[in-house]
Amino acid sequence: MKIKQLNIWYISSLFVSLLVALPILTVFLGFFETTTDYFSLLKNTFLLQYISNSILLLVGVLLLSFLFGVGAAYCISFYDFPGVNFFKWALILSFAVPAYIYAYSLTAFFENYGTAFTILTSLFGEYEYNKYIPKFDGALGSIISMSFSFFGYVYILTRASFYYQSQNLIEVGKNLGLSSRQSFLKIILPSARPAIIAGLSLVAMECLSDFGTVSFFSISTLTTGIYNAWISFDDLNTANQLSFILLTFILILFLVENYSRGRAKYHQPTRGVKTIPKIELTGKKSLFALSFCSLLFFFSFVFPVSQMMYWTIKFPKYFQDIDLLSLNLNTLLLVFLSSFCLIIFSFLTNYGNRVSQSKFLNYLSTFSISGYAIPGVILAVAFITFFSWLSDFSSSFFGFASFKSLFIGSIFALVLAYFVRFFSLSFNGIKSGYLKINQSIDDNAYLLGYSKFKTFTRIHIPYLKNNVFLIGILIGIEIIRELPITLILRPFNFETFATKAYSYAAQDLLEAAAFPSLCLIMWASLFILFISKYILSNK
Amino acid sequence: MKKIIITISALLLITSSLLAGEVNVFSSRHYDSDVQLYKKFTSQTGIKVNVVSGKDKALEKRILEEGKDSKADLYITSDAGRLGAAQAKGMFQRSSSSILKKKIPSNFRTSYWYGIAKRARVIYYSPERTPASMLNGLRYEDLADPKYKGKVVIRQSNNVYNQSLVASLIQNNGSKKTAEWAKGLVGNFARPAKGNDRAQILAVAAGEADLAIANTYYLALMLSGKKGAEQKAAAQKVKPFFPNQNDRGTHMNISGGGVLKYAPNKANAIKLLEFLLTDEAQEHIVNNSYEYPMVEGVKANELIAQFGLNFKQDQKTKVSSYGKKQAEALKIMMQAGWQ
Repeated sequence: MKIKQLNIWYISSLFVSLLVALPILTVFLGFFETTTDYFSLLKNTFLLQYISNSILLLVGVLLLSFLFGVGAAYCISFYDFPGVNFFKWALILSFAVPAYIYAYSLTAFFENYGTAFTILTSLFGEYEYNKYIPKFDGALGSIISMSFSFFGYVYILTRASFYYQSQNLIEVGKNLGLSSRQSFLKIILPSARPAIIAGLSLVAMECLSDFGTVSFFSISTLTTGIYNAWISFDDLNTANQLSFILLTFILILFLVENYSRGRAKYHQPTRGVKTIPKIELTGKKSLFALSFCSLLFFFSFVFPVSQMMYWTIKFPKYFQDIDLLSLNLNTLLLVFLSSFCLIIFSFLTNYGNRVSQSKFLNYLSTFSISGYAIPGVILAVAFITFFSWLSDFSSSFFGFASFKSLFIGSIFALVLAYFVRFFSLSFNGIKSGYLKINQSIDDNAYLLGYSKFKTFTRIHIPYLKNNVFLIGILIGIEIIRELPITLILRPFNFETFATKAYSYAAQDLLEAAAFPSLCLIMWASLFILFISKYILSNK
Repeated sequence: MKKIIITISALLLITSSLLAGEVNVFSSRHYDSDVQLYKKFTSQTGIKVNVVSGKDKALEKRILEEGKDSKADLYITSDAGRLGAAQAKGMFQRSSSSILKKKIPSNFRTSYWYGIAKRARVIYYSPERTPASMLNGLRYEDLADPKYKGKVVIRQSNNVYNQSLVASLIQNNGSKKTAEWAKGLVGNFARPAKGNDRAQILAVAAGEADLAIANTYYLALMLSGKKGAEQKAAAQKVKPFFPNQNDRGTHMNISGGGVLKYAPNKANAIKLLEFLLTDEAQEHIVNNSYEYPMVEGVKANELIAQFGLNFKQDQKTKVSSYGKKQAEALKIMMQAGWQ
């Protein structure tokens, strides 16, 4: 390591990367502890099934998310058709509906004696409809719930990337004599690749670490194995080992992608982004684009929200039990504190990596971003284990007072754990923006006598402003709907919309969970609207 | 003068609440009605109740890791096996209360934890399709009989109520017989295990299955109309059957709680437990969660009482034995192919 690398940027990136990697290290230590025979039992019984279910789920969700996300981003970025300005932001609303709440809605609508049954009964009179109503549960239900809930990642990131390159590329295609399909396949898709991959890897991590949806639909995946190891067999070490294996799998995917991307630079010229009128669609093509976006909007947002509204109206008595003021305050407090910290430190780390150009730092940050791929509850447990150990260690060796209550059961603990969990989201989002700033811009700035700090504040921040807002949306929504970490680490008498909805769902009162879920969705939607309006008006 | 009076009364209020103190509860029961009950306790005693609710294993982990620094006084959960497991990990301290001893039948308490309410895991059937006479003398053990092929539904093996039920079967019939039973039962499934207890009851109502195993309070919840008219109508098509009446009795489980090892407010924790076993609190519990009361003399909610309260409860199998056998129970279920 060269001495000149040891500047403040380098050290702060290193520190953040290490902090985020700590719980993962704790999970890894599971390999050195004693375990029960759960794993061999699993191997002899359901392991293959769990793995194949995980793969089925992953492939299904990735495929649908790609189709929905890239399809919508392509239609909206390059073409003009009725409603295009509406769908531009309306499709992001899908993001406001967490997969587990989507799952509640899907079940509520299609289950025996559910909402579909009620509708049919009131339209056509009493009959044994239950047999004829399709049941969306198991793998199919999970794939549907997750795809509609997660495709937003792909959509947002892809659209942002189309926005910067957009018209140039279609023009290039035209000049080369390519049809629009050829331009799409040969030019546009490859150039949006970093964004698409970034979106899909977020989807993949969400999908593999999900427990709420799959357990709700009783489909057993690797995550179920992880949970059963801990919850039923009291074997946290096997749970940690399994999580680590899952994590390694995702990490390999990441590294492969990183490596293959490393060959091709995706810097965009920053000059020459001009807005040319979009291609206007007519006739069948226009109808197709309109129906595609309308259906996507309907199924991803209107359907689950309507089901929640229907319940809220049908069971008004559940309103009374809810302390709206404190729920709002708690939720927003967590969102603001955490997004603030995350964005600041993601900037620092990204910038640190850029100026130090250290390979070691680059690998370390790729490694540390995997907090996202460990199931939330395992991460929370690792977090508790680590800080409890640290406190005991520093008390016994240095005589420090115990600081457990700072790291377990406090707002600070929640913010720190969210930080570890969502750092990858925020880091990668800003990184994808950085990849587009040509290194020559930095070099020119230095030539002009700009310091590193000045380059950062005067050039990078303004250029990445839209990225930051997009990341702001994503983190805010993630935190609003985050459940397992909040449940374990929260202080006494502290509820968020997500914990409230969960506690009703846990007592089998999904009807009562509807109102907090709806509040959660509304907040997330407001957030999306506010920020997308800001971004759109800036364009 | 006015200011002085206000200041003094404010100070008095603060000191009185400080003197009465607080009690910190970790609970895996999520009922809002429990929180209302804690408020009643506060208004009677001045003791503030602070709550963290969550999944039991997660709460246990937090309590264990916090160790001596833990502020938690009382851990409440709704499965005897879990209470037993927490005791085995040394999470509880011995606590004695003559009131608790007097009110709680000996099978439903130890010196470390105390039952608060009871629930039975029963068999549901549709009287339209299955006359009650056909079920006469039915035992859990009989559900493995090939004559019920394609007729039985139950939730997944990772559910703790199933683990406690199978643990009680191991306790009574031994591992080998229970393993055979589990294989037979899985062979009789009408569909792969899925959904919660209520989904099993609905499956019988909808004709997907003839027999379902589920806890008693789920039916009452549906009958109460809290889940809408359709679910109520569906629940009316189904009746509970109390198995094993001719031998040990129907499988019972409890909600219960114990005072934690490092509880900073031990006395208040016992006070809260004692309060939860007063007639007033018991009535509140049974009318909201539809569990059976722990205390004699308090009547179960009518929605559940209508199915009879004189059924034979399994008092022979110690509920404190569930915890030790749960892991084995899960193993047996998994090996039988029970998802």
